[in-house]
Amino acid sequence: MDLKLSPFPTLEKQMPIEHGRFEAYVDNGGTVLAVGGPDYCVIAGDTRMSDGGYGIQTRKYTKIFQLTDKCVLATSGMQADTLALQKRLKTMLSHYQKEHGKPMSTPAIAQFLSNTLYYKRFFPYYTFNIVAGIDEKGEGCAWTYDAVGSHERVKYASQGSGNQLVIPLLDNQVAKFNQQIIAGGNVTSQQAVSFVKDAITSAGERDIYTGDYADIVVVDKDGVHWEKFELKLD
Amino acid sequence: MFLTRSEYDRHVNTFSPEGRLFQVEYALEAIKLGSTTIGIQCAEGVVLAVEKRLTSPLLEPSSIQKVVEIDSHLICALSGLTADSRTIIDHARVETQNHRFNYDEPMTVESTVQSICDLALRFGENRKGEEKMSRPFGVALLIAGVDEKGAQLYYSDPSGTYTQFHAKAIGAGSEGAQQTLQEKYSKSMTLDECQALALTTLKQVMEEAVTTSNVELAKITTKDGKYKIYSKEELEVIVSTL
Amino acid sequence: MQQHVSFPVFGQNDYFNYKNPQTLENRMPVVDAKKKTQDPIVTGTSVIAIKYNGGVVMGTDMLCSYGSLARFNSIQRMEKFGSYTIIGAGGELSDFQSLSNTLNDLVTLDHCIDDGSKLSPSEIYNYVARVMYNHRNKGDPLWNSLVVMGYQNGSSFLGKVDLVGTCFKDDIVCTGYGAHIALPLMRKAALDNPNMNLEQAKKLIEDCLRVLFYRDARSSKKIQISVANENGLEISEPIELDTYMWQSGEAAVKSFSQV
Repeated sequence: MDLKLSPFPTLEKQMPIEHGRFEAYVDNGGTVLAVGGPDYCVIAGDTRMSDGGYGIQTRKYTKIFQLTDKCVLATSGMQADTLALQKRLKTMLSHYQKEHGKPMSTPAIAQFLSNTLYYKRFFPYYTFNIVAGIDEKGEGCAWTYDAVGSHERVKYASQGSGNQLVIPLLDNQVAKFNQQIIAGGNVTSQQAVSFVKDAITSAGERDIYTGDYADIVVVDKDGVHWEKFELKLD
Repeated sequence: MFLTRSEYDRHVNTFSPEGRLFQVEYALEAIKLGSTTIGIQCAEGVVLAVEKRLTSPLLEPSSIQKVVEIDSHLICALSGLTADSRTIIDHARVETQNHRFNYDEPMTVESTVQSICDLALRFGENRKGEEKMSRPFGVALLIAGVDEKGAQLYYSDPSGTYTQFHAKAIGAGSEGAQQTLQEKYSKSMTLDECQALALTTLKQVMEEAVTTSNVELAKITTKDGKYKIYSKEELEVIVSTL
Repeated sequence: MQQHVSFPVFGQNDYFNYKNPQTLENRMPVVDAKKKTQDPIVTGTSVIAIKYNGGVVMGTDMLCSYGSLARFNSIQRMEKFGSYTIIGAGGELSDFQSLSNTLNDLVTLDHCIDDGSKLSPSEIYNYVARVMYNHRNKGDPLWNSLVVMGYQNGSSFLGKVDLVGTCFKDDIVCTGYGAHIALPLMRKAALDNPNMNLEQAKKLIEDCLRVLFYRDARSSKKIQISVANENGLEISEPIELDTYMWQSGEAAVKSFSQV
């Protein structure tokens, strides 16, 4: 005698559960910003790395990467892509150094990064970059990018998850847009550092992806100077 | 050298037992048949002066061009098989433009010269597609340019070697001209003095008298980093003072 | 003719394609078409690890699930690579086995060079990170979260790599549910006791795995704990966690050793 089982769940119930396609991109969050002065540039970036959601993977991931002794790269976005981009730039920079007998200048790096990003136009590096440092004249300079290489030279810049919180602050305090009373005079690098600390602290106040610690980097004629700065851990 | 000529000069990539590449050495000989070319560098810039051989009165002088632009800050004078320079100049122009594209800055003089020399030994018929020529180039170049190191003059030959000079003469009259340059050159010269020295030296070794149509003169100045090839009218002013 | 009847299991894919029996055309796929991992099949859950004063401790359970089915109960999810490194894996088991093969080849190659130098934990970590990132670039990821730990020349190493190539080093590293449940507990424990010794660290890992067993439905109470310190590498024998009594009836008679 045959024991015959009736197919109990209907066909649609037996359909495979949709696991969702493999997601090749993750946004690990974070905020970076840069302010260029007459003979220096201050760059800041928090060190929180999120897991793409509410989780913090690590509190000690630095988003700022020294390219030369006149130039740093600050990147938010996907950490794995950031790392690949940094490695690529590092090898290309040493290649340039050997081929041309000099380190790549900051404006040259700026152009080169744009090309590097654009070459991956159809499978982009999910990275949001600021190139900052001092140019051949010794002036502080910064470039901001989108993920596929559009770029612009600016006096100050911010990128990443706290960008919207930081940029009005910079517009107001660095560019002095639409102010009734404009306090004149050049800002010293110490003043800039203090301001930049306030800016990133403010970002950490409201942006959940920004916090833990901040790297504060000053680039001037003497090189690149690093400083750690505490942010809130919440 | 021709006494030791043997089977070893038949193939471009075969060393002789004495360790020589005859085809390359023969190519160097081809330079000595070329028209005389002089380059002089000073702090203010570099001057290039070239003899044009007008083999017939019916020849249109302006159809011969011996000084060419590589980039706005780099020029090049040639001697030897000028047709071969086409490949080289093309290559150098692409390299300098590529450099501008990649780095948004002019290519340095030395790097450009190096990239030219990279091409020089890419001859032979072994690896398909890798070489551009079946034989060595038969042309030598004087490359003048300005970069952050200032004005520089380089000499590059068919062996792929490059050397920097303060003053250099190549081509048929190079031996006499180089001697003169050695005696007359000083580092403190102005660009105008360099210009005069280049032309008088050229005049010495040329069979014919210097006219506005049988020499070509070009300069590149440190101040603006731009080159200038003299027109007939501008040349007239200088030639008349000789 | 007897019709084939499949037994439905909720949360399980029709992996062997019973629903779409292969025709000849299906069996001969388009040339160059290749299979890419779109989702994991047999999976391990959390890996947790912490640096202590003098080394690193890592813990995993030994379960590998097939969807919601507790399929393999005694799989070691940590492996030694070379003399200084242990990697613990969560996610697709077969991908970890494949990666293990790759890494063992690397270790063998390094041994054959015979220059006296051995692959360091950080070298292996960086290599693994590149392998994972390159696979994600091909759209064919190795579906794992990996914890790399090691001890060499007096310094501890602890890092994590995931399926898209994200990688970082930290004093406490957890994957999967561990990142949600164990990580905060471990951070607190480390804060309260900054100079943890081996016993304390082992205890912490064990406690955290117990908590995970209570809340993570894809975990088991059969665990292993591995240590990297100046005495080298050690992966423990299977340990059964003391938990509340979950058994009832006849099942209560069956002990862990019969699993």
